[in-house]
Amino acid sequence: MLTAVKNQIRVCSLSVKYNIMREMVNKVTFLTNVGFMALNNATFLVQWMILLRLRGDVGGYAMREIMLLWGLMAASYGLSHILFARAFSLSELIIKGKLDAYLVQPKNVLVSVLTSSTDVSAIGDFLYGTVLVCACKPGMGGFFLFLLFVVTGAVIFTAFAVLMGSLSFWFVRMDMLQNQIVMGIVSFGTYPDGIFKGVSRFLLYFIIPVGMAVWHPVHVIVGFDAGMLLTVLGYAALLAGISVTVFYRGLRRYASGNLMGARV
Amino acid sequence: MQAIKVENLSKTFRVKRKEKGMKGSVKAILHPQTEEIRAVKDVSFAVEEGEMLAFIGPNGAGKSTTIKMLTGILYPDGGHAEVLGVDPVKKRRQLAYRIGTVFGQKEQLWTHLTPYDNFRFFGAIYDLSEKETEARIDELLERFALEDFINTPVRNLSLGQRIRCEIVASLLHRPKVLFLDEPTIGLDPVVKENVRELIRQMNEEEQTTIFLTSHDVGDIEKLCRRMIVVNAGQIVLDDSVEHLKRHDPQHSLEEIIVDIYKSEED
Amino acid sequence: MRKYAVIYSSVLMENLQYAANVALGFFGYFVFIFIFIKLWGYMYRTPGELIAGYTKEQMIWYVMMTEMLFFGSGAASVAGEVAGDIRGGNIVYLLNKPYHYTLYVLTKYTGEWSVRLPMYAALAVVIGVVMVGPLPRFPLAAVPAMALCVVLGLTINAVFKLCISLFSFWIEDTTPFQWLYNKLIVVLGILFPVEIFPQKLQPLLKMTPIYTVCYGPAKLIVDFSPEKCVEILAAQGVYLAVGCGLMFLIYGKGVKKLYVNGG
Repeated sequence: MLTAVKNQIRVCSLSVKYNIMREMVNKVTFLTNVGFMALNNATFLVQWMILLRLRGDVGGYAMREIMLLWGLMAASYGLSHILFARAFSLSELIIKGKLDAYLVQPKNVLVSVLTSSTDVSAIGDFLYGTVLVCACKPGMGGFFLFLLFVVTGAVIFTAFAVLMGSLSFWFVRMDMLQNQIVMGIVSFGTYPDGIFKGVSRFLLYFIIPVGMAVWHPVHVIVGFDAGMLLTVLGYAALLAGISVTVFYRGLRRYASGNLMGARV
Repeated sequence: MQAIKVENLSKTFRVKRKEKGMKGSVKAILHPQTEEIRAVKDVSFAVEEGEMLAFIGPNGAGKSTTIKMLTGILYPDGGHAEVLGVDPVKKRRQLAYRIGTVFGQKEQLWTHLTPYDNFRFFGAIYDLSEKETEARIDELLERFALEDFINTPVRNLSLGQRIRCEIVASLLHRPKVLFLDEPTIGLDPVVKENVRELIRQMNEEEQTTIFLTSHDVGDIEKLCRRMIVVNAGQIVLDDSVEHLKRHDPQHSLEEIIVDIYKSEED
Repeated sequence: MRKYAVIYSSVLMENLQYAANVALGFFGYFVFIFIFIKLWGYMYRTPGELIAGYTKEQMIWYVMMTEMLFFGSGAASVAGEVAGDIRGGNIVYLLNKPYHYTLYVLTKYTGEWSVRLPMYAALAVVIGVVMVGPLPRFPLAAVPAMALCVVLGLTINAVFKLCISLFSFWIEDTTPFQWLYNKLIVVLGILFPVEIFPQKLQPLLKMTPIYTVCYGPAKLIVDFSPEKCVEILAAQGVYLAVGCGLMFLIYGKGVKKLYVNGG
């Protein structure tokens, strides 16, 4: 069991390494991609300066909380897109029958698929997020919490994307919708939770997992709360479990490239 | 000992259907209709260990679907398959350690890496230690004459060089059964001949069972003693190549095969 | 006559398919608008309060209009296509056709948004009327002027995005520059009207393409006045001329480089 896990990790790290090597073939492009993504994110600080000038807080967030929120969002979005970029195009792979190569390898299919590509600009997101959080001076403990929440956030994003993508085993049109829904999380997750009330708040905490990915973490970093911390950990594990189950259930319906051929 | 055993294997795909014209388009959006296509119907056969079998048929006959069920890619809807005594779907990973696959039209290699780096990656996938991988690469390097381009990125290789690398990558872990889906597609005659020779050698030296699909009669003649012809998802012929030729000496094997395909259509 | 009926129905069929895809994009639009309804709902403390001269309803309608332009234009496709043509070498085959390449791309793109934009406009009106409330004193008679302003704004935006893509003649990947351009438009033009920025910045912002590309059209729809209309149309005319000049210049230089270096 242990050697199996060790071997799987060896393959994954090689995979990620090769992905990044592929993207680094052209160094100038690589660096501009990473750099510009960080700059791109930074432009949004303007929005918050404007909003906070109008009113002292937005949904209970002042500049420091906003920066923590953006930092967490960017870093966990970045991490998930560095390690598991394929989760976000899973739909396309399923519909076009591109899982074959992973199915004939003696390794975990889902893990092999997820780690098979990297989004370079995500490195920019990750660095930007980390720098932003450091700028908030969260202290040693706060920084460790941040690292932990980056991991849980990345797990939640990836798992949610896998869950949405796996629905393509049943519904063909999912490919466009997967993208839309995942980007929806990013949109919601860059605004304070305080502006949402009632039903929308409930949905954003439990159905579309924005609350668990970034809002709870921000609250825990600002004022430690063990209950919230455990909720986030539990939710991440649960969502990961559900997404893996749904993926393997769907895999039985996988049609390889045959559907494409037959449809002509 | 049988390497592959297949009993009443079946696979059905559900395909969206659209009626012709404007009305059809609107209808397809409101009430999507699906149609069942039986790609493989009750197929049964067995392959002995060390055998080289040609599995042929016209486009859309169900060849690839069958290979995909035998390698654990597709779940069969009915029947049973066993490769090296293992059910491909239930013990997919266990089986993957013992079989190799080459899909002529799909690439398994990373194109920005050199063949050498690729082989090391595949070595890791099959849990070979660095030392084992190196030794095996050295061995296959010589046999497949890869010395000249082992350090050239795959994207800069010719098709013939690439397919040789694909085959080597699938042989690193010494598979007992090798599935080749149109391995010589798009190659020039000299390279084709070279690839066939390599496959034949593999079979002789390592007793690898070869399961081959191809549209190239040359592949079948040069490599296989036995062939199975499928059409419309069913086996229409299972015979030795020698026997077929002896039975109809005036015609080439190509003509005989075309005849079989045609007679099935009527 | 039959012939034309066949042509018409096949074009319509293709567009129906396309329309279904566009409709899926509505989700993203709805999410944004939903967030902004909530955001401004929090920012305005008392009913009837004005922020930077806008009522809450006007502020939300402003974002709805600018986002409608952003989503409805789908301008990323122009940028992607041009960069792809140049990097992929396809440009060589398009060069010696009897039309100007950049104008060809612009025309094709105009055909694309003429299907998308009306769909988003319809959606925006429905969301606006149901969730925000209709705009008070909306001058129906001014709709043609607004439409003209929207068309010009979209075209100017496409011209600028095209200019950035044309740099593909020299550099490998122009997408990072597209992100930056997009983000500037989003932050300085889509999210807020110009009046919300500090007084000192406002004249500066009115000089940028943002004024003609998104602020102008949206402002006219939300708060129409004939003087404003003339001013914006004039600015758009200037911008269009300058943008096209720039576009032809960069294109000409790029093609020359292509001939010298042989792709």
